[in-house]
Amino acid sequence: MIRFDYRRPTSIEACLELLDLYQDKAKLIAGGTDLMVELRADDEKLEHVNMVIDTTHMAALKFIEVEEDVLHLGPGITHEEIWENPFLQEYAPFLCEACHSVGSPQIRHAGTIGGSIGTASPASDPLPPLVALGATVVLASVNGTREVLLEELLLKPYITDIKANEMILSIDFPLLNPEAGFGFVKLGRRKALAISRMNVATYVELDETGKAVDVRIVPGSCMPTAVRISEAEAMLLGQVPSYELHQAIGEKVAEEMIKVTGRRWSTPYKEPVIASLVKRALNQATGVKDDD
Amino acid sequence: MPLMGKKNFRYLNKRITRLDAVDKVTGRAVYAADVEFPGMIYGGCLRSPYAHANIVRMDTSKAKAIPGVRAVLTADDVAKPTSWADYPYLCSGTVRYVGETVAIVAADTLDLVQDALRAIEVDYEELEGVYTIEEAIKDDAIQIRAHGVGLKDGVPNKDVKGNIFYDSYFPIRKGDVGKGFAEADIIVEREYKTNFVEHSYIETESCVVMQDPVDGVVTAHASAQNPFFTRRYLADASGAPFNKCRVVQRMLGGSFGGKEELVGMIVGRSAMLCLATGKPVKMVMTREESFMESPKRHPFHFHYKAGLKKDGTIVAWEGSQIDNSGAYNNQTQFMNCRAAIHSAGAYDIPHVKTDTYGVYTNNIHGGAFRGYSSPQIIFAQEQFMNEIAKELGMDDVELRRKNILVQGDLTATGQELVEETITLEMIDHMVEATDYYKKKEAYAKTKNNKEKRKGIALVSCYRGCGYGAETPDAGAAMCTANEDGSILINSGLAENGQGLKTAYAQIAAEGIGCTPDRINFVGVDTHSIPDSGMTVASRGTVMGAQSMRKASLELGAMLKDTAGKMLGVDPEYVDIKDNEYFISCKEVNQERIVRGAASLEIIPVDENGHFLNEQGKQCSIHDTVSMADVCNTRLWTGKSLAAFNWSEPRDLGLDHHTGQGDAFPTYSYGVVVAEVEVDMETGFVDVLKVTSGHDVGTCVNPDTVEGQIYGGIAMGQGLGVTEEVPVHKGQLGSKNFDSYIFPTAMDVPEMEAIIFECEDKEGTYGAKSLGEPATEAVGAAIAAAIADAKGEPVREIPCNLERALLGRTLK
Amino acid sequence: MTLNMVVNRKPVSVEIEPYARLLDVLRTQLKLTGAKEGCGIGECGACTVILDGETVDSCITLAASCEGKSIETIEGISDGDQLHPVQQAFVEHNAMQCGFCIPGLVLSGKNILDKYPEADRERIVEAISGNLCRCTGYKQVVDAIEDAKDKIDE
Repeated sequence: MIRFDYRRPTSIEACLELLDLYQDKAKLIAGGTDLMVELRADDEKLEHVNMVIDTTHMAALKFIEVEEDVLHLGPGITHEEIWENPFLQEYAPFLCEACHSVGSPQIRHAGTIGGSIGTASPASDPLPPLVALGATVVLASVNGTREVLLEELLLKPYITDIKANEMILSIDFPLLNPEAGFGFVKLGRRKALAISRMNVATYVELDETGKAVDVRIVPGSCMPTAVRISEAEAMLLGQVPSYELHQAIGEKVAEEMIKVTGRRWSTPYKEPVIASLVKRALNQATGVKDDD
Repeated sequence: MPLMGKKNFRYLNKRITRLDAVDKVTGRAVYAADVEFPGMIYGGCLRSPYAHANIVRMDTSKAKAIPGVRAVLTADDVAKPTSWADYPYLCSGTVRYVGETVAIVAADTLDLVQDALRAIEVDYEELEGVYTIEEAIKDDAIQIRAHGVGLKDGVPNKDVKGNIFYDSYFPIRKGDVGKGFAEADIIVEREYKTNFVEHSYIETESCVVMQDPVDGVVTAHASAQNPFFTRRYLADASGAPFNKCRVVQRMLGGSFGGKEELVGMIVGRSAMLCLATGKPVKMVMTREESFMESPKRHPFHFHYKAGLKKDGTIVAWEGSQIDNSGAYNNQTQFMNCRAAIHSAGAYDIPHVKTDTYGVYTNNIHGGAFRGYSSPQIIFAQEQFMNEIAKELGMDDVELRRKNILVQGDLTATGQELVEETITLEMIDHMVEATDYYKKKEAYAKTKNNKEKRKGIALVSCYRGCGYGAETPDAGAAMCTANEDGSILINSGLAENGQGLKTAYAQIAAEGIGCTPDRINFVGVDTHSIPDSGMTVASRGTVMGAQSMRKASLELGAMLKDTAGKMLGVDPEYVDIKDNEYFISCKEVNQERIVRGAASLEIIPVDENGHFLNEQGKQCSIHDTVSMADVCNTRLWTGKSLAAFNWSEPRDLGLDHHTGQGDAFPTYSYGVVVAEVEVDMETGFVDVLKVTSGHDVGTCVNPDTVEGQIYGGIAMGQGLGVTEEVPVHKGQLGSKNFDSYIFPTAMDVPEMEAIIFECEDKEGTYGAKSLGEPATEAVGAAIAAAIADAKGEPVREIPCNLERALLGRTLK
Repeated sequence: MTLNMVVNRKPVSVEIEPYARLLDVLRTQLKLTGAKEGCGIGECGACTVILDGETVDSCITLAASCEGKSIETIEGISDGDQLHPVQQAFVEHNAMQCGFCIPGLVLSGKNILDKYPEADRERIVEAISGNLCRCTGYKQVVDAIEDAKDKIDE
């Protein structure tokens, strides 16, 4: 266990000042469900950490607000709070599903959405739907605030572009059409307490003729970070969803995955499986029946 | 149908509340890690990061210099660095697996323990290692243990050097397989594999060791499955005689065979630190340490060959069963005896030739794990049976019915099954209870589905009860009555969570006649009762409780004798109900009552033996006398209030060179039906339902029997589908429960327990083994159901995502 | 540093290390050993406690973060010798074997019935999905919690 000192700032300003003072020697703690595990394991990337700054108690980081069709999600909101939120259930059901599939009740009661972004696990469940939503992350430091597209904030597995003196103030996304289709499919090694072997978030909006006008496909544990696969999305745009088409799109995602990661030891498994998961997530979003 | 409920007992067959229930739901139960003493300090272990390496330099000076660090010990600092078993408390020279302990420390706080461990400098020189069974039996493999032997003519031979652990070699030679195969119409040959599996008890290995400054007694409070076995380590490491070494078993947080060696090791190491510092030392393993140093379920390679007649009769069976024993002799030499005895399945086969042996590798040693080889073996045999059935074009349940052992048959060791054997009735009942053929037909219709397919399978198995020919199945029990009429019982066998205390209380109640709530069971304290062997081999009730049965009957008779005197009748006319003794006239010649009690005249009785008054109403004579009065009377008249019994098993007589003879006093039988859905696109196996039927002889407590069966199903599901400690060149790929996957409440299937009883004179009140039978065939049944769903055999478990989809793991 | 919290309805104040885990503070300093350590990484749930009305794994909860919070442990849910209905149901169903995971399972069961008194079997199963049990196969545990549902507030 890495030992550290502890500060509990009472305001965002005070927190930013502490971050600025300690820089990369400090880590923010929100729920601690990832950080405490990493600290216990003497994780190499925390080698230099000797200060933990606590945001768990900060009411200013816990909000779910809508302002002009943009949803502002406080980073201190827990996975359980997202799952239980009726508004999010309607406007971002795939995010709720994803948060509901995280770990266990105990983890979901403590773990926060801001923490999920900060950890940036490639196997994260909430990140694919957030990327699909086009979420922007509002970051603050003593020098001011900046907004970054989540997809761009995620640099590599476990690495983000959040600077040592920055903290997340809000996660914003424009509301999508609640009448459109949302999909989230997760494959784990068991039904609870499961790290995603792979997952997929999808969003498909159809026009009145049944053709897709907005398609978003974000696989997790597939690419180094959660990203939209535009080559695959393009295949559905302007088309009527169908099982066969979804299957072809799934295969396209697998192809794109291999382009980026190369053929690796895990490819023989991941290639067919991601194709199937994408197909199922598109079926889920469009009401096409899976072939039992 | 021989289902539970036809036997007539007072307190057996009853859903009695566990003796430890309230302690366990309130958090009051004290486990070893909860024990604390004034002045207690903490111990820790420094472990090798290499699987095979020479230690070239070790420097502990920096660690010793840290204030608050009280002791830093290496092999050079202790009198006996290697335990009475083969493996060392403190390794010097060559480390042989990842996690082997090279130094231990004691310090005032856990933080200081960590600081000290980090401050120890060790330089290693890595060596080439041997890791898998294939590598170990290669002719040119490097030899990792000096006494390892090689193969000659396909069997282990002491004249050849190699990595085979000779003492673990057990052949079975029954009949003449050459003749058998010559008679066969068809010969089928297959290979199967299993992998390393972790016990995953939720409590890690823990202990506190302290020395009494006055009498010098060294006491270990430990999470010991077998306190007497643990005492061997305590005496060994402390150098004290056994009568000054005491092990107190604390509430045990699961064991399943696992808390034997490592608990012994940490008790031994803590004793060294305790003696070096003069302080009580607590040592609690982290989960990662537990994964590294606790023994695993032995991985096996099986090769079976069977010769059959066209009608499905098995006439010959040949095979090899090779297991990965790890770097040290541990239990393979005992376990393989059982593995060999059961090497031809639950089937009646005239000609059998099998060879079972273990190999040394640079891994943590294999150990005892619920089943003691049977889950692996049954997996392989039952898949093999289904592959045979396919070759014959025969229904696999029919193949089993045709060959299953029944009363009067000879097992692979030539033992005649003389006790009632209800295997055929069990198979038929299970087929009916699960609607097997209807489901089989319905699931067959899913075989063309692209995504989800269902499968069902029935497997059968049998198991020798208790130690059998492994070692004598003897043990002690003591029953003591107190002046208030309460009873204290004690046994050399231990509560492991399975409900032993409750079962023993019921057995003692049956013998004494008192209600089970009058009985308290002291935990095992090695200073209180003789060594009664280990609480293993599912022997607790079947054999271990024989001494409890006999002691309680003896005490019951003693109390009845006094009650009779107090009631003025012969003891044979005394009965007890609700802890009150009364004169029982059931089936009694009233004249004899008069003779026994001069004051009694002939009094009419009703059909239940109750006395009737002149109006024909029930009445009592002399009322009754309470247990408390009886015990009090005995105390003050100088009569014994205690009964001790040592129960010895009958002689068996297995010839270990041929594997022929009686191997076990009796056998228990199981039939398990599993239903699964396989996701053909991801390899995800959803276990839908498991129906598990067991012949338990006599069911002592239906709640705890069902609990064993349900838990056994979950453990078997893990074995079949998800559980594996992946090992790559000795490095463990899983060291905690994030990557070592066993079922959560959301994963377990619908479960149904079917309890069969039969007449069997060997076990306590006719009881037979259940703890291990409850899990041993479940993995096999699930694997067979997966094979049914997929339409192709499963030859290696766990059948995880990758194996179910690709038929192999990645890498 | 000083940590102030309410444990089992009583205010407590303890001196802690800034990096202390809630589990260690409960077990070592407050001598509440009903919460157990099974994995240290928030997987097994043996260390479950109820923090401000929600179950959490105390092995990955930073003690310092609990300033001002209310904690309920297994020691706090019975009323003297009067067991909580969930505890009582576990006893009646013999829903335990080794018992090491049972305090956590009881608390997860209590918590879901506190939040959803009408919780169905599926919700109960999910509520205990963060409590690994190696002995029971969970069936008698779920049966017990379902049974307790009808007995709360009777």
